[in-house]
Amino acid sequence: MTTLSRILPSARGLLHKVSVNNVAVTAVAVRHNTTKTYGNLSDEDRIFTNLYGRHEWRLKGALARGDWYKTKEILLKGVDWILNEVKTSGLRGRGGAGFPTGMKWSFMNKPSDGRPKYLVVNADEGEPGTCKDREIMRHDPHKLVEGCLVAGRAMGARAAYIYIRGEFYNEASNMQVAINEAYKAGLIGKNACGSGYDFDVFMHRGAGAYICGEETALIESLEGKQGKPRLKPPFPADVGVFGCPTTVANVETVAVAPTICRRGGAWFASFGRTRNSGTKLFNISGHVNNPCTVEEEMSVPLRELIERHAGGIVGGWDNLLAVIPGGSSTPLIPKNVCEEAIMDFDGLVAVQSGLGTAALIVMNKQTDVIKAIARLMEFYKHESCGQCTPCREGVGWMYKILTRFVKGDAQPDEIDALWEVSKQVEGHTICALGDGAAWPAQGLIRHFRPVIEQRIADRDAAKAAAAN
Amino acid sequence: MLQAGSAVRGLCKAIRPSAPIVKAADKAMAAHALPATLVLSRSQSNKPVVADNRVEVFVDDIPVMVEPGTTVLQAAAMAGVEIPRFCYHERLSVAGNCRMCLVEVEKAAKPVAACAMPVMKGWRIKTNSEMTRKAREGVMEFLLINHPLDCPICDQGGECDLQDQSMAFGSDRTRFLDPKRAVEDKNLGPLVKTIMTRCIHCTRCVRFASEVAGVEDLGTTGRGNSMEIGTYVEKMLLSELSGNVIDLCPVGALTSKPYSFSARPWELRRTDSIDVFDALGSNITVNHRTGEVLRILPKTNEDINEEWLADKARFACDGLKRQRLVAPMVKDSKGDLRPCEWEDALIVAATALQEANGSVAAVAGGQADAEALTALRDLVYRLGGQHVCTEEVFPDNGSGTDLRSNYLLNSSIAGMEEADLVVFIGTNPRYVVLVLPCMSPTPGAWCWCCLVCHQPQHLGDSSATVEQLCAGTHAFSSKLAAAKRPMIIVGQALLGQSQGGVLYAKICQLANKLRGSVEPSWRVLNVLHRVASQVAALDLGYKAGVAAVRQQKPKVLFLLGADEGAITRSDLPADTTVIYQGSHGDAGAAMADIVLPGATYTEKTATYVNTEGRAQTTLAAITPPGYAREDWKIIRAISEVLLCVFNVVAHEEPMNVMLQSVGAARVDGSAVLRPALLQLEDYYMTDVVSRASPTMAKCIAAVKKEKSNRYHSK
Amino acid sequence: MAFFGLDRVSRFFNLIKENGGFRQSLYKLYRQNDLKSGTLVGTDKLGNKYYENNEYFLGRNRWVIYSPSLGTDFDGSAVSPAWFGWLHYKTDIPPTQKEHVQYSYIDTTPSPNPTGTNKAYIPYTTGKPKIQAWVPPTRS
Repeated sequence: MTTLSRILPSARGLLHKVSVNNVAVTAVAVRHNTTKTYGNLSDEDRIFTNLYGRHEWRLKGALARGDWYKTKEILLKGVDWILNEVKTSGLRGRGGAGFPTGMKWSFMNKPSDGRPKYLVVNADEGEPGTCKDREIMRHDPHKLVEGCLVAGRAMGARAAYIYIRGEFYNEASNMQVAINEAYKAGLIGKNACGSGYDFDVFMHRGAGAYICGEETALIESLEGKQGKPRLKPPFPADVGVFGCPTTVANVETVAVAPTICRRGGAWFASFGRTRNSGTKLFNISGHVNNPCTVEEEMSVPLRELIERHAGGIVGGWDNLLAVIPGGSSTPLIPKNVCEEAIMDFDGLVAVQSGLGTAALIVMNKQTDVIKAIARLMEFYKHESCGQCTPCREGVGWMYKILTRFVKGDAQPDEIDALWEVSKQVEGHTICALGDGAAWPAQGLIRHFRPVIEQRIADRDAAKAAAAN
Repeated sequence: MLQAGSAVRGLCKAIRPSAPIVKAADKAMAAHALPATLVLSRSQSNKPVVADNRVEVFVDDIPVMVEPGTTVLQAAAMAGVEIPRFCYHERLSVAGNCRMCLVEVEKAAKPVAACAMPVMKGWRIKTNSEMTRKAREGVMEFLLINHPLDCPICDQGGECDLQDQSMAFGSDRTRFLDPKRAVEDKNLGPLVKTIMTRCIHCTRCVRFASEVAGVEDLGTTGRGNSMEIGTYVEKMLLSELSGNVIDLCPVGALTSKPYSFSARPWELRRTDSIDVFDALGSNITVNHRTGEVLRILPKTNEDINEEWLADKARFACDGLKRQRLVAPMVKDSKGDLRPCEWEDALIVAATALQEANGSVAAVAGGQADAEALTALRDLVYRLGGQHVCTEEVFPDNGSGTDLRSNYLLNSSIAGMEEADLVVFIGTNPRYVVLVLPCMSPTPGAWCWCCLVCHQPQHLGDSSATVEQLCAGTHAFSSKLAAAKRPMIIVGQALLGQSQGGVLYAKICQLANKLRGSVEPSWRVLNVLHRVASQVAALDLGYKAGVAAVRQQKPKVLFLLGADEGAITRSDLPADTTVIYQGSHGDAGAAMADIVLPGATYTEKTATYVNTEGRAQTTLAAITPPGYAREDWKIIRAISEVLLCVFNVVAHEEPMNVMLQSVGAARVDGSAVLRPALLQLEDYYMTDVVSRASPTMAKCIAAVKKEKSNRYHSK
Repeated sequence: MAFFGLDRVSRFFNLIKENGGFRQSLYKLYRQNDLKSGTLVGTDKLGNKYYENNEYFLGRNRWVIYSPSLGTDFDGSAVSPAWFGWLHYKTDIPPTQKEHVQYSYIDTTPSPNPTGTNKAYIPYTTGKPKIQAWVPPTRS
């Protein structure tokens, strides 16, 4: 559910403000006006150099890849320097909402009221289609441990809790080994890296609930309660885990922080369009010849991403039906939109979808798209926490309608009813799961309404024929 | 303490119904005319006046100035705009899960939950805009798609929030074509009936149980559409406050089992009254129809019971219909009680009283009202009797009951919330005065919180502990001395001891000592009574305890609802005539020679004084059954037969206020101070009405059976 | 005569005469609040006399004069079942013309109305009593 955690409409507004105030990003904005195309990230610009597990993932291998290099110096440069680098980089949260990371971390630097502060790393990667964090955690765990330290230093946190999805057993094992190695090497713990800063990293395994990827539900779960999202306000930055100021950040966001500090925010900002800068892990799954996770520059065109890294669509580009571009919670886009779509936050919002976790689910023309969306809805129905009314009742209702749509067992005006129900769920719930459940249904109706109508008509015709 | 006590006593004289008894009833009527009850010793919280930092918000373009942190819903209420809600309740934590209170705020992209969202300066809240109405209609539709819509057979019908709000905000037709969800009912015991399919998952009951009643038994299981409210495993809701979840439930998922299918709310007549099952004086509303009490509901009184009510007060009302005395009875030549006419009974009673030649005594029970107490006292004194007593014991050494502050809950019930440390000695407030633990704990009142939320710290079982506390040698003494607003609450297990007087005097001294270090208006010493009549009786000059009567061996003993066995036949000479006046046939009537049928609290307009000294009036909801009559009228009728109508009584009460030296007194430290009511099953039957109640009997049986349920942790 | 209304005078005297003179007429007025003239249709076992005079309008043209043995303490229950039908226009054939059908299992002896006596019917509830009274223990 990492996608869903903070899909705040206000984020975009805030973002504008940042880019105006930030010299480095405005410099990038100039570049944005050129007709440059993005993509084809060169190997020396990759952050995750052991994404495919071809090298040693333990401390030795991590040191060889440059992790933990001059971490002490980064820490000693101080909070303001780290925050400034992250702000300069234009890094936006990689969990799906895309909130500017530098600004979010700086919320924690309010005068202390005596409560300790915590960093919580959201490793509850449950979004269907998304598999980027697990690659980091099983093949490059030290990136995350080091990221915890750097991010924790930036917000003055006492400790980091890594809330890892329950199903990620091997990933949790590797993470724990990495944490133990780091403790043993004095990289974290008391006087981490010799910087004089005390920092602990704990791991907490979840029990496999998608909703626990929502930041406040994650906090509740971490506290040992039922994973049910809290009301906001108060935001976790005021009252978070154990009642203390807390920042919840995605694994990828945290893991890229040390590299940004080492190579400079401006380096990171040089990738992608303005306000969408950096490199990003993309997951491509579904009907492609070579499903993969790949690190690529932001703003890479969707078609190029699929053709270059995933070996193209099964049956050729013309056999493409639709793509869900950002994990299951984002609305799908049909082939004609896919031609021009740019894989970044603004580019996908422009086509009425979203970047989410950048997990592309590709469907070719052999797919029953109604059934695909109905299956997603079943997932949301199963994973709804049941706390608030619109999600509890509405998602189940949408699932029931969609399952009938699959067979065409419905009235044509139920398509409008489904649209209205999804609108009644969207924006009326405590957390973003309701939105994430409503959007796929909306995407389906927006782009594939004739398919549903045809299915209903076919069934009616078949029934009429059987009656005669 | 002496001075403060005198001041309070002066106040108390002002309300004492020692005027002519005929007028007492008038007075009671007058008291009713003023709905506010008399407050005697309320400690006022002196909050400093803060600078005006309020913010202005606009609710439907009505400007309101509110404190920062006020929620949208509260701000709207200040502007006189009611926002619909299901899960929100003032006295519970905010859940924000029903989403019914969604309102539009100008410039916000999506509607906000009014119950949880604090207002910001200059917000324009639109409670009737298109977006708000759409949101409400959507939520309403969602709530109703899985609701069974069985209103015609639902006990909540007519007082159902879901019904009302769907009429006001919902759509008139459904688009839902699929099968509805059904949920298995839960067994929560003999009081709360569940029809869980009706549940809308507002979690008010869950929050009440954990936050107010202090039992974590209720909760949610399952996720999404299959979420259910329940007790996780099949077990009874073991709480003495369980009935309140019935009131809290906005739909018919939790209803009253004894009251099920018996009436519709629009058939009921409602009479505001006072509860007499404990000394708290909870305000209640008696719901009755055709001369029959059908149910009792709490009535909000912020200073006493807030809006909660204990199970005994709520469900023991079926005891008002059983074991009743419906006709006067006199013993015949065989020694059996035979029903007779009032005239005969009055003449026999009056003759006995006349022939006693002054050897007359009276004992009052726990539910006697102030008017009857006054009448009886005046009758006994007029006949030359010496002793009017109560069944409840209270020490009479030292200043005894002469100082009113000696036997009151001086800090007041609402004042408990301000206390930062409460020590209960010889009482279990949970079962003695039920609603007390419901008072929402303030963050500072740790000991109080303990009672509700955590395990209270147990200091000891013996009177030696009290002595150590008084001497300052107990480990807890330092905490007590450091407390800014400590309360010592003394209960019957201490006061009823043979050494209770000495112990109580020591506690008085301790309280006096503590008063030196607390703020001047704060009262340390408090007494928690068990029964409703006790404070009024002590105010009226009754002696606590029946020792004097035992010693006197009177020729005629008048029992006014005295059924707890404080005095038995074996304590009296064989020739003593016992007159029993009361509502129920129990121990008192069984030992009586003459039985005069009286009225219960639902059948008379009478005054009761609660443990904090607050005089309140019950109102007659129905008429007494059969030949039963209001108590003060019976006593007055006897006096008329005796030709000694006491319309003017100038009785001088003993006012010898003396503080005797108690320092030298020695106590045997071995006495055990365990309150009588420690277990839930002890709680349900404590007086004639609850002993006659089949519902209470079922409760006891269920609680006892529940003890064998392995899912209950000890 | 009729023009001056003098026929009424003669009718009045005829009525007195038919009712057995002034004294008897006064007694009948006292007893029955009415003075009527008509043909005697029949008499039942109790001695009640049934009259008819079709000059009176329907509803007043058949009446009963209760047996003198009942004195002034009479009521409608004294009418015998045989005559009841004729008196209440259920039939125009009096039992003098056609024998009243008797069934052995129907008791046709009229009994006086018990209202006002202690045999009177008093309605009572069949529901459970709302109040359950205390029963004192007995020594025996």
